[in-house]
Order: sequence, then structure tokens, then C-alpha cells
Amino acid sequence: MQRRSFLNSLSGSKNQKNAVKSAVMPPLGLEKFTGPWTKQHSAHLLRRTVFGAEYHDIAQFTAQGMDKSIDILTNFGPVADPPVNYDFESDPKVPIGATWVNKGHDPVNNTNNYRYRSLFGWTMGRMMAKEMNVREKMTLFWHNHFVVSDINDARYYYKYIDTFRQDPLGNFKEFAKKMTIDPAMLRYLNGNQNTKNAPNENFARELLELFTIGKGPIAGPGDYTHYTEVDVLAIARVLTGWTDVGFRNPNVDLVTSTFRPNQHDITQKKLSHRFNNATINNGGAEEYKTLIDIIFTQDEVSRFIARKLYRWFVYYQIDANIETTVIEPMAQIIRDNGYNLKPALVALFSSAHFYSDFGCMIKHPLDFVASATNQTGTKVTGDLAQQYNTWNSFFQFGALLQMRYFDIPSVAGWKAYYQEPLFYQTWINSVTLPLRKSYTDALTTTNLNTRGIRLDIDVLAVIKGFSNPVDIETLINDLALVLLAKPLSENQLATLKELMIPGLPDYEWTVEYEDHLANPTDLNLRRSVEGKLRNLFNYMMKMPEYQLC
Amino acid sequence: MKRRTFIQTGSLMTLPVLLRGMEVTAIAKSSLATLVNPDDDKVLVLVQLNGGNDGLNTFIPLDQYDALVKARANILLPENEVLKTSQINGFHKSLAGFDQLYKDGLMSVVQSVGYPNQNRSHFRSTDIWTTASDSEQYITTGWLGRYFDLNYPGYPDGYPNAENPDPFAITLGFVVSETCQGQASNYSFTVNSEADIKSLNETVPGNSDGSCFSSELSYLKDVVRQTNAYSSQVLEAFDKGNNLVTYAEDNNLAAQLKIVANLISGGLRTKIYVVSQGGYDTHANQVVGGEPVTGTHAELLASLGDAIKNFQDDLVALGIDQRVVGMTFSEFGRRIKANDSFGTDHGTAAPLFVFGSCVNAGIYGQNPQISDPLDNEEGVPMQYDFRSVYASLLMDWFKTPKEGIEQVLFREFQHIPFLKDCAIGTGTEEVSSLELTLSPNPAQDYVNLEFDSNGKLADVDIFDVRGYVVKSVSSRTIGEGPVTMGISLQDILPGLYFVRVAQGNRIRTQKFVRM
Repeated sequence: MQRRSFLNSLSGSKNQKNAVKSAVMPPLGLEKFTGPWTKQHSAHLLRRTVFGAEYHDIAQFTAQGMDKSIDILTNFGPVADPPVNYDFESDPKVPIGATWVNKGHDPVNNTNNYRYRSLFGWTMGRMMAKEMNVREKMTLFWHNHFVVSDINDARYYYKYIDTFRQDPLGNFKEFAKKMTIDPAMLRYLNGNQNTKNAPNENFARELLELFTIGKGPIAGPGDYTHYTEVDVLAIARVLTGWTDVGFRNPNVDLVTSTFRPNQHDITQKKLSHRFNNATINNGGAEEYKTLIDIIFTQDEVSRFIARKLYRWFVYYQIDANIETTVIEPMAQIIRDNGYNLKPALVALFSSAHFYSDFGCMIKHPLDFVASATNQTGTKVTGDLAQQYNTWNSFFQFGALLQMRYFDIPSVAGWKAYYQEPLFYQTWINSVTLPLRKSYTDALTTTNLNTRGIRLDIDVLAVIKGFSNPVDIETLINDLALVLLAKPLSENQLATLKELMIPGLPDYEWTVEYEDHLANPTDLNLRRSVEGKLRNLFNYMMKMPEYQLC
Repeated sequence: MKRRTFIQTGSLMTLPVLLRGMEVTAIAKSSLATLVNPDDDKVLVLVQLNGGNDGLNTFIPLDQYDALVKARANILLPENEVLKTSQINGFHKSLAGFDQLYKDGLMSVVQSVGYPNQNRSHFRSTDIWTTASDSEQYITTGWLGRYFDLNYPGYPDGYPNAENPDPFAITLGFVVSETCQGQASNYSFTVNSEADIKSLNETVPGNSDGSCFSSELSYLKDVVRQTNAYSSQVLEAFDKGNNLVTYAEDNNLAAQLKIVANLISGGLRTKIYVVSQGGYDTHANQVVGGEPVTGTHAELLASLGDAIKNFQDDLVALGIDQRVVGMTFSEFGRRIKANDSFGTDHGTAAPLFVFGSCVNAGIYGQNPQISDPLDNEEGVPMQYDFRSVYASLLMDWFKTPKEGIEQVLFREFQHIPFLKDCAIGTGTEEVSSLELTLSPNPAQDYVNLEFDSNGKLADVDIFDVRGYVVKSVSSRTIGEGPVTMGISLQDILPGLYFVRVAQGNRIRTQKFVRM
């Protein structure tokens, strides 16, 4: 990679042995994976595409093979019913149990607060629902790509995120069009204040720099190789006249956006040589579509989104070889399919490259939080309010670990996906790592306070589905398959065994566990086996390896 | 129990591997005292203002007020609300804390700090400030990371150790600071007021095969090891130290600085603390419409001024003020012209503030000149390169030799004497002014630049309104005495430009029009 070689030339040879310990994925390309399809492979695919899979899911995805597995993961049923009012009795338009997403905000009773809680809880609930497809991870990808934040009306967030959740592997170009006039986006990047007499370039700049084509090296004053400052100003004028409708308005049930012709700059706009000096004539409310079509004629757009998908699903280091053998072929597929992303992602998930190494990603906080419950079949139960409250507790924990849905700290997304040289490592430091440990400690030792519902892993139920839980080594290896990205080393296996049955021969586990199975109502037998298992789960979930996926 | 509000100690239980670190620490305590260089206890506090602070609404050039009215009437602070430092400039009304520090001789204002070829992207410009790179140069290490690399080769292998038991740098919050990114690892340790520091499991050695998996895993292991080793040091210092003044409430920056003062007073030998305040990206509603004294920016500045004033008072009360210097920075200033949303868009240079008892209080550089008429794109042109500020801190504060500074910053930068030698109480260097004339102005194909040379290296550059260098005129030593330079403008398009002359510690930026 250009930057890295530059860095090396700066530092000379003196500090070479000290250089950042970074690696890249092995040099395999986008060609189809043809090796044997094992449990390790299907577990890897599931770790990257869903929020946590159980042992029986891995077994099923192993048995049905790669193509069928990817087909299942990239097809979607209907979206869950929208979030509802679960506890707020003073919303005149929305009784308990009904949804608020299409009902005006009531400023007198400040209905937005409960709607936020409802939206946040529901969103966490979607990730914890263990839907066996890539919908939730792609929805979060889009949120991190087309960032919006700071919108004080929950309906805006719902409308915005629903665009992606309905069609997670949809058409990138169409998403760019929808987002350009999305009510939340219009507010977040000041598109609603972009008028012919006072153009506001905020959205125009991010549209190019972060949403579509990306910023290249500086080629001259105001020229970023893929676009120039001239384009930012011209595009701001193209987009003049749009505004959102319904913000915190009690009389407007459905938020939407509208085009005001009298605020639109009707003069001709000229783009720079980076867009072949394209001109855009007045097209009124349709003009933005012409603009997006022009931007998407540039091949760089397909490479830009391919790199972002790569960093979301594979690894952050993209060297010249990966650029040639993975990014460019993905970009070609994206272009060949008119910016429909599904074929390119299917190719990525089926590629030799994708399976060339496991466990190179650090789980982001929401993956960490949701997968811990999903991998262990831990379900949120209770009545409506209890479910939402529990989901909200998990949501808040993700926020504490620095990932709060609908509150991305910058328009470029979470740092883990763009900030060199740390990338994913941004998530982990001396504050967040101990917090992650306290979370798995709570899940494995029944201390998790979720306001009303105690949630802990039913360790006995988890291992019942394993291949041969009476054998201690098989048991530990099966749990490692679910929790860790790579098989345990002999050394690790020995240590974990020692933790469970210190100084005892293996058959003592078999004896004790079979004893419990034969006498399931004997509490003493149950507790001793359960205690051993809790130690095992607890220890494995605080191994540094557990942070990887 | 006071510590509980800082860090919960519920299960501070250390694992075998870490005990070794503790033992080393214990030995260190007794033998180290005599080894510590008394000059080596200096602390630098970086106050990062995220989002791009509107310098023109922070330290206001009153001699430009009429032009400011035309450029930004909808957000401009009324003249009588400015806390005047002199007839020609003063602090925003909300910055009473800064005003007091300035009057007490505890604050320096460095005017119009930026860099050539201003980048107006938050992320890129933050990278430039934290790495101290050129605008077009990509570097992945931070400037303080390189400073530490210079002094502690091999980090993090073998650290902490007897000589360096404490974290080199501490970032308050949830993420490490990019300024402290070294070649191999980040030098900053994260501390948060709500943190729950518990010891972590080190893993049983597994496979290490040079793959991306083992690369990420080794990072995780380093964090585990360092968290375990450093957290006991930090906790101990926190318990030993204290605060002697009351800090502003509901002020997140004050809460961060309070912890910093507490840790320094507790004897932690950490050299760098990074605190931050977000919210400066004021594209809209920077002020409340019709009431420019209030609004987002005023609230941010009030928090900033109060927090830093509290912190400085605390350092004085604790008797550690001569060991600590602080500096604010932000990725860029904002556009001179306000937008229609009572806000300002991304701009160019902005003032930077240095505070502490060892500050050579004063205003460095001139007020920015506000053009009339004004280009919509125009930002405040840079006078000082931000790396001059870094170089001056490294030189005067950390006593880094010249070669060291050039290794950290890649080349020599102008020295700005905003610190004094605290022991003697005088400035490190006299600042002389640089007067220049440009004629004719407006100019056509040529403009004549005249100034009095002091015999040192002189950089002369022409900038456009967006902060790009369009022409480098000179970068050479010029003999003492009056100088006249004829500058050809034939390769420059008509428009408004700035000529910047930097020589020795002198600086001047002057606008001119190319017809």
C-alpha cells in the first residue's frame, strides 16, 4: 500500500523491527473457494454475517454446503413489525402496544423520549433475534456508511434505517438517491438549509468524500483526484430546494421530504474535468437523480464501496495485491450488475480469499454484545415492557462500549473502519476491554442486571446440543467452535481442562455429567456440573481470542 | 469512599504474570527517586476541541469589527460584550476564565495557527494535526508517539519497567489519542471517570504464525498486559493525590481535568494527558438567532474557560503548577462568512491557547485581516504553522535537542517564545515585530515586497483564500537589513491572496489583490 511504503521510507531502516505489527490476509483472490467445507468454514461465514450462531446452526450450515448457506444468508423474509409504545401512557395518538412510527410527535407530553427508548430497544432486539441472514449486519453497514445522527425525532431515524432494513443488499445507486433527499439526512447535513441564495455545501462535500466516490490524493489546489472543490460547489447548487417535512410536528404523521422550486438554483451547473466537465441543466425535483447517475458513471465509485464492504466483512489492510485480486474484481461485479450489491457479496462470501484466514476482525461492540447471547441461545423473554427494557439494557451496554446506534460520532462513521493505523483496534483499550469482561462475567455468573429480567446463559442447555458432551475434550472443542474463531491449541485445551477438572482424569467429567443426566432433578449433581461449565464459559469468554471473529 | 467515584475497585485481583510487574514496581519505588531528573517531570496537557473551533468568535479582532459585521452579522458578538485584552482584540464574553488567566500572566494566545494547503475535511485535518504531517503527506504515527519512540525504543516490549512504571500518556475517555501513536504501539493509556478497572485474563499461549489473526491477537494481549500493569499505578496515584479547588459542575471537560490534576498531584509520572471537548462543528445554530451572546458556541466556550481556569487554580493550590503546561487545538478554524443557518462552515487557521505558570504571556502574531468584500470560501489565513507550536513545546518544555525535534517533526520549524524559563522567570527569547509593505496593491503582474531582514532564514509564500500555497517565493537566509523582493504574479489568476513572511520568530501575513 502506498501509505505504508511511504511510512517505511520516512522511518528509514532504523526502526524496522519495531514497525506496527500488521499483517494482511493471505494472497488468495476472489476466485471461488473449492476446498473442503468444514465446521470451521461455516462457523467463520456465520460469525461474519450474523450476530452470533449456535452450535446447531453451525452444524446445519456445514451440512448444507457453502452455496446453499450463502443463498440462505443473502435472502430475506419480511421485516419484523415496527417498534411500539410499550410503556408510555400519555401519547394521545398511540396506545400501549401500537406503533408510533406513523404518528405525529406530541410536544406537550414530549413523546419523543419514549419513542427513542422504543426505537433503541427494538433495534437491539433485531440484532438479538438471531435472524439467520446478513440483514442486520448490512443494515448497520449502511448506517455506518450513510451516517445520520443528532435528529430529535425518532420517526426520522425509523424511516431512514427502514430503507436499508427492507432491502439490505439493494442497489447502491438507488440508496444514494434515496439518502440525498432522506428527511433525516436533509437535517443532519443541512440539506434542508441549502437554498439558491445561500447554498450549504455540507451534504455535497460528504456525498463525494464519504458516500460515493471518496477522496483521492491531492492533485492540485482543491483537486482530490476523484473530484474537486468546483464539484462540491456545483453539487450543492444542484441539491438546492429540498427540505424535510414533519420534524417534531404534532400535525404531521408521516415524515417526508419536499422540493421547493422557488428555493432551487435553476442555472446550469458545471462539474469539473473529474466528471468529464459534465453539465447539469435545471431538472427541478428530478435533478438530483441526474447528478447521482453522473457520479456513478465513474468506476471509482464501485471500488470505493468494495473497499468499505471489505473492511466491514474481511479485514482492514488492503495492499496492492488485495486491491488487484479482490477489490477490483468485486468492483467489476458491482458495475456489471448496475450497482446491485448482492452478486458481489455472494462472490466475496464464496471466495478463496474470504476463507484464507479466520478471526482477523475485532468484534465491534454490538457484535460483541449480541453474539454473546445469540451463540448461547440466551433469549430475552417476559412481557412487552420487560422485553423492551431488557433490550434497552443491552443497547446501553453497546453504547458504553462506544457503539451507540443512531449516534455515530462523526459523519465518516465509526473510526474502526477508517482510522489508520488502529482500525478495529480502536474498540479496545484499558477502559473498554475491562468493560467487555464485566459483561461476559455477568452473563456467565448470573449477575446481569437488565432491569427486571435476569439474563444468564443456561450452560447445561447449551451443551446438550453438542456433538458428544460426555467427553470433556469434545465438549471443550465444540464450545470453542461456537465461541472462538480458531481451534484451541493443545496447550489451551489442556489449560481449560485443568480449569474444569483440576488434576483429575478425563473420565471424571463423563461420570459426573452422566450422573446428572440420569438424575436431572438432583440439585447437588446439577450444581456441581453447572459450576464447572460456568467456569469454562467464563474463562473462554474472557480470553483475548474471544474478542476476535 | 472517594475512589469509588473514579474507579470501581470491586475485584482488583491480579494474575501471576502481573505480579511480576508489581514486584518490579515495588523495587522501582525505593531506588528510582534519586534517578529522576528534576527537569524531567514536565507535564503537557493537550485540550482537543473537536469539530473545528470558530476562532473569530473566540478571540475577536476588534480592529476588524466593521468587516466582521459585513461578513457575519447574524452571529457576531456585540462589540461591548467582548472581554478586551487590548483596544484591538479580546475574548468572547463566555471566556471569562481565559480573560482572567491572560490578565494574570498565565496565558499566551498564538494567532492564526494552521498549515499550508489547508484541508477542510475533519478527519484528514485531525490526522494532520495529530501526526504533524504536511497537508499531502500520509503518516500513521502521532507527533508525541514519535517523541516517545525517540526516547523509549522497543516500546511496548518490556514496558512498564523499573524506570518507567507509569503510563507515558493518558487519554481521558474511551479511546486512545492519535497524537500518541508510535511506530509499534500507542503510548497512551485510557482512563475514564466511570471506568471499571479489573484485571483481565491473559491468554494461554496459542499459535502465533504472523497471520492477521495473530496480529490482532497480539494487540489484544498487549492491552491486557498493560491494563493490568498500569491500572494499579494509576489507582495508587489517584488515591494519593487530590484536588484543592471546586471544579465547575455539569462540565465534562472540567471533570476530565480534575482527574488529571489529581493524578499529577498523586505523583504519577505520566508526561502527556489528552482531554477533549466535542461539539465545535457549528454549521448551524452556533448562536441563538438574534442573541449572539448565547447559543452552542457560547456554551462550549464557557465550559472551556471555566474548566481550564479551575484546573490552573488547582495546580497552583497543589503547588505543581510549574510542572504543567496546557495547549488547546482544533482541526481548523471556520469560514469567515457566516451561513444562513446561524452557523459557519469549515475554514482555515484559528488561534490556539497555551496556559500555565510557565507561559510567557502575550499575544503572538497579528490580528487576522478580514477582507471586504469577502470571498465566500475565505478562511483566516495562517500565520503560524502548528508544527512551530509543537517544536517550541518540545524545545522549551521537554528540552528536546534540535536534532530530536527534527526527527519528530521531520524538519526545522520556527520557534515561538510563548514559554518562559520558569526558574529565571524571563522569556526564552525576545519577539520582534516584522513590518512589511506590499506595493502596488492591488497589483497586476508584479508586486514588491519590502521588509527589514534580521539575517535569518526567511520563508515567503503566497496563499489563496482557501489556504493553499499558490507560490513559494523564498526559503533562504537573507542578510540583515532592508530587503526588497519583486514577486512575479504572472502565473497567478486574478483574485485575493495573502503573502506570508516568516523569519526567525517573527511572522507577518498581509493580503493583496491580484488584478
